[in-house]
Amino acid sequence: MPPTPPKKPIPERFVVAPATLWFDRFMNHFIKVGGLAIIVAVFLIFFFILLQIFPLFRGARVEPAATVSIPPGDYRTMGTDEWSELPFFLEQDGTLRFVDTVDIGGPHHRGSFVKAPSFIDEVEIAYARYNEYQAFLLYGTTDGRFSIVNVDYQPTFPARGGRQVVVSLRETPLLNVGRQGMTVERLAYGDSGTRKILAAIQRVNGRSELHAVSLAQRRTLLGPGELTVDGRYDLTEFLDGEPRHIMIPSDADALLIAFADGRVRFLHFDGRGFSERQVFTPFADRPDPRIASMNFLLGDVSVVMTAHDGANRIYSIFRDPTLDMRIWGHTKTFPDLPAGATFYSVGMRNKAFLIGSDRRASLRYGTTEAIRWEDELPFDVQFAALGPRYNRILFLDTDHTLHAYDLRDPHPQAGWKTYFGRIQYEGQATAEFSWQSTGGRDDFERKLSLVPLIIGTLKGTFYAMVFALPIALLAALYTSQFLRPDIKRFVKPTMEIMASLPSVVLGFLAALWLAPIVSNAVPSVILAVIGVTAAAYGFGYAWGNLPQRIRLCLKPGYEFLAFAPIMCLAAYAGWSLGPVVERAFFVVTDPNTGLQVPDFRLWYPTVTGLSFEQRNAFVVGFVMGFAVIPIIFTITEDALSNVPDAFRSGSLALGASRWQTAINIVLPTASAGIFSAIMIGLGRAVGETMIVVMATGNTPVTDFNPFTGMRTLSANIAVELPEAPYLGTLYRTLFLGAMVLFLMTFMVNTAAEILRQHLREKYKAVE
Amino acid sequence: MMTMENETPTHAASLKDVQQRRPEVARQNAVAKDAFNPNHIEVKDYSFFYGPNQVLFDLNMAFPERHVTALIGPSGCGKSTLLRNINRMNDLIDGISHKGDVLIEGQSIYDPFLEVISLRKRIGMVFQKSNPFPKSIYENIVYSLRVAGRNRKSELDETVETSLKAAALWDEVKDRLQESAFSLSGGQMQRLCIARAIANRPEILLMDEPCSALDPIATGKIEDLIHDLKKDYTIIIVTHNMQQAARVSDKTAFLYMGQLIEYDDTEKIFMKPSEPQTEAYVSGRFG
Repeated sequence: MPPTPPKKPIPERFVVAPATLWFDRFMNHFIKVGGLAIIVAVFLIFFFILLQIFPLFRGARVEPAATVSIPPGDYRTMGTDEWSELPFFLEQDGTLRFVDTVDIGGPHHRGSFVKAPSFIDEVEIAYARYNEYQAFLLYGTTDGRFSIVNVDYQPTFPARGGRQVVVSLRETPLLNVGRQGMTVERLAYGDSGTRKILAAIQRVNGRSELHAVSLAQRRTLLGPGELTVDGRYDLTEFLDGEPRHIMIPSDADALLIAFADGRVRFLHFDGRGFSERQVFTPFADRPDPRIASMNFLLGDVSVVMTAHDGANRIYSIFRDPTLDMRIWGHTKTFPDLPAGATFYSVGMRNKAFLIGSDRRASLRYGTTEAIRWEDELPFDVQFAALGPRYNRILFLDTDHTLHAYDLRDPHPQAGWKTYFGRIQYEGQATAEFSWQSTGGRDDFERKLSLVPLIIGTLKGTFYAMVFALPIALLAALYTSQFLRPDIKRFVKPTMEIMASLPSVVLGFLAALWLAPIVSNAVPSVILAVIGVTAAAYGFGYAWGNLPQRIRLCLKPGYEFLAFAPIMCLAAYAGWSLGPVVERAFFVVTDPNTGLQVPDFRLWYPTVTGLSFEQRNAFVVGFVMGFAVIPIIFTITEDALSNVPDAFRSGSLALGASRWQTAINIVLPTASAGIFSAIMIGLGRAVGETMIVVMATGNTPVTDFNPFTGMRTLSANIAVELPEAPYLGTLYRTLFLGAMVLFLMTFMVNTAAEILRQHLREKYKAVE
Repeated sequence: MMTMENETPTHAASLKDVQQRRPEVARQNAVAKDAFNPNHIEVKDYSFFYGPNQVLFDLNMAFPERHVTALIGPSGCGKSTLLRNINRMNDLIDGISHKGDVLIEGQSIYDPFLEVISLRKRIGMVFQKSNPFPKSIYENIVYSLRVAGRNRKSELDETVETSLKAAALWDEVKDRLQESAFSLSGGQMQRLCIARAIANRPEILLMDEPCSALDPIATGKIEDLIHDLKKDYTIIIVTHNMQQAARVSDKTAFLYMGQLIEYDDTEKIFMKPSEPQTEAYVSGRFG
């Protein structure tokens, strides 16, 4: 081994200052950390959104909470209060047994107690039925009378703290229905506030009769007055079979009669009398069409039915477009139950219902046909009650034990089908993609399809790009390849200033200034656009054929000076021709006055069958295009200018014209950059919010009609977030919309990047 | 109409007429093999300015037909500018002006009735840095035909073969004509550019330091090629390489500071130049 030479001290002029080294090292790591932090931040946002939408796709969780023994009795039905703390069980004799299920064994436990309407000792109860949603009991007596008894649960807050539910009964007097003295077998009652009707099936000499009464309640100074009968209807003529169920919805405008053979007759009540609308057999296609159970879903527009073989369907009432009449139709089908339902309970906050027979219990959701939860219980269920707060399920088994289950299902409506599938919502004649997150009533069925929003996003982007792409690309081509550099120095910064216009200003202009002008003069706008395009082509053709002597008056690169006045003239001519063309082609009868008027706004819907709105995709495309043009222009112009001059010179030296050089050589070589420009413009248009919020009308339509508005995903988030309860279904759905938007842009960007790399590889210049 | 055409005889120089006249030129060549036009390109009192800067000063010279003329001189002497003015490639630059004239077969290249495009079709050009288009070898060659609207397959195929053969590249690339031009080596690319420049069969070939970026072997091939091409083309070559000028050219012009110092047969320039500046330059004492 050679001896290591002694270390010479490094001359001072070669020494690196420690500060330089330290700073260099620090910046190296600092930049690295910064880069990683950005990546981490993006992933955290992604993760956060994922965390927000994850609960939407979870099923319901049902866990046993408590069991309480109920005194034995011959119970007919059960009901419960809002907190599911004080359920009652209706005995065969009409008394109500309330059972306290909280604080069992504690000092304030009330055990069980009995309440009954005052008339219970005078009459014999033949029929009783509980309406869970409106919390009233219908009593029918053996002597042909009825009473409506409200079960009023009230929370009290005793001094010792906590909450205690107390109950009181409010009853109407016994009134006669139909034939006096004849046993009431079934009752149905509907109360819309202004109209109340009650129907009863009575047994008369061994055959059934159907009677209905309309009730009136006069308000007095001292509060609601007595309930009186103000109309009587004998509907026995409509009974052509053995009636099994009768139902009246809370709107009190219909009566449904189900017969033993499986038919359902729908009578319409118009305030003066009943008329037959429809007879249908819900299970006509099944071997055994008999109906085992039928109950309303929340809102009383849908009926949940089961057949004896366990088939489970929903029929809803909707306006049939061909008959122009509201009729019942089959809208939902659920998986079969083991047998016809023996217990049922309706959800009071949403379209869920609890249904089952014997040991099988199933929690289903009406809108989505989804089974939220289903299980084989270790006992035979006699009755079930779904807690009004949708947080508890109570089962009474045949051994008089009450089983309470905790239900956790915060987003029962959520699911793939809700967001991306066609659903026939209540009141709709066909399955559709709809978005309508809020409605005026508690029983409103939310429509949460993201499809109209996705279509709206695509529509807005499409129209913006249709307008922006040709202008931006051609402008960039012209500026980079034909315009003189001294003018170019002025044009490009101007375009960049245009990019810095706040979109809220553009949206404001679009909504309040442009939209009214455009909607008043659609033919003029279209003609002006056509005029300018035609003028450009015409001018180019004519200029090319002009003798060189005239062409030489303008230096190459200044041709636009000759074109500008012609373009303005063409635009003006197109604009002023608009009314003329409107008078010639777009004459239509005004539905208000009956006169023949030239009006494109009226003509368009009559001829195409599509609607015309003032704030439409046409205007949005125009203004959003305006927002997108500078971005596409700037990046495209840079890409075109960066094409090596050697290519241009090579092409020109071979005798190609400037246009041929631009199209054949410059454009393909810059294609990767142009592609990026288009994609960045596309990304801007997809995510653009303010302009669409202000200028579209935010109607979640699913068409590509240029004269209707749209609602984009981004606008939807902006519009609805203030109304969405924290962590509610709508709140999380908006996050899902954000995720879809994120994925859309992510997919577009990824595809674009792959294609861009490919193009760059193909057209890269040799160095 | 007829009278108008008669009154404006300069129309005769339009693209159509140039094309019509070409067979005539070819026939003349065939008849008298050694007969050539010594004034194929004439430069008359030609001055050229980039904005306020004059770069060429009153040049007077003529380039003979079907001969190779070399332009030599130190960097910035204006030889490339002169070359690029012959096919008016400098038109793209802002703020240029000129005095005097350049005539091709007696016709001014600045004639307002002459289309620049037809002028450039007449004059092929090879650049210092090879600049094949980002297209296939085949498409590079036929580009000048395609932009002229000639798309007949048989004509294109024939042109590709004759041009590549003329550029001595056919045997190397005939099996990969559809491959990207960028797959070729540097020397091959430059020969492809020469093939591309002669595809439309121009009369004149301008070469702007065609070998400056090539290795000696590739340079040798190009020089051989120039030697073969001068049978058909008037060639003007700009070069920094004295030996190259001596090897390939028939006549040599020495430019210095935008002035034509000496213009004579190559042999004379290199053996017994009449100007001391020329002698100093060719013997490597300055430049």
